Amino acid sequence: MAESPARTAFAEEALTHLDTLYRGALRLTRDPDQAQDLVQEAYLRAIRYQHSYQQGTNMKAWLFAIMRNLFWDRFKGSRKEDVSLDDVGEFVLYDKLRDEGAKPEADVLDKLAASEVVKAVETLPPLHREVVLLVDVEGMSYKDAASALGVPIGTVMSRLHRARQQLQKSLYDYAVESGIVRGSDGHQVPQS
Amino acid sequence: MNCKDCADRLDRFVDRELNSTEVLELQLHLEGCPDCEEHYEFQAHLKRLVKNSCDCDTPPAFREKLRQILS
Repeated sequence: MAESPARTAFAEEALTHLDTLYRGALRLTRDPDQAQDLVQEAYLRAIRYQHSYQQGTNMKAWLFAIMRNLFWDRFKGSRKEDVSLDDVGEFVLYDKLRDEGAKPEADVLDKLAASEVVKAVETLPPLHREVVLLVDVEGMSYKDAASALGVPIGTVMSRLHRARQQLQKSLYDYAVESGIVRGSDGHQVPQS
Repeated sequence: MNCKDCADRLDRFVDRELNSTEVLELQLHLEGCPDCEEHYEFQAHLKRLVKNSCDCDTPPAFREKLRQILS
């Protein structure tokens, strides 16, 4: 099939956002093979529906929306994960660590393994994981994240707030389990 | 701005979602409050940690495969 210049140009521009889509797909599916399938399908759909993309608008957000909609279509069918977040209340990691006498950055953040941070992100329910992926990993504005997710900005903000609290709680629990800090059950915290 | 107001706005500040007036008010508070400045540094560091930990490149073979499929 002969490629039109417009289609080629569109595909080239779309491919500049491949890393964003791949990262998002990998963290959503938690499986590299599934991530590649999802991204490939997303791009094929994007090409098919390129006429619906408005020039000058955020293509990254538009593409991510296609990819995450495909993810959710599949996820609804599998239902392997819970979609709800534990209620950790107002968990503020910084305050928790300070209350325990730790130096939050030097004693904890500098010692967290990247793999554990990824695990904490991937443990979030998908609905909350995707907003962290967009705002924290991809650096999107709330407005662009809202556009990519098809929700109001207020929803982005509330999901992000809850997701970050859960994330901080997970990182704290990991820090206690691995001995980075000793927790608030009466033990002393390490003094650096 | 007091420390509670500052803490309430820190996430949006780190996300660059405050308006210019709010940014100025918060920056003025941080300049005069070492505790809040430390809290801000922690929040900024945590956000960078999430970003850097989750960062990865598309496998080159997949990138090439996709390029060929789309061309």
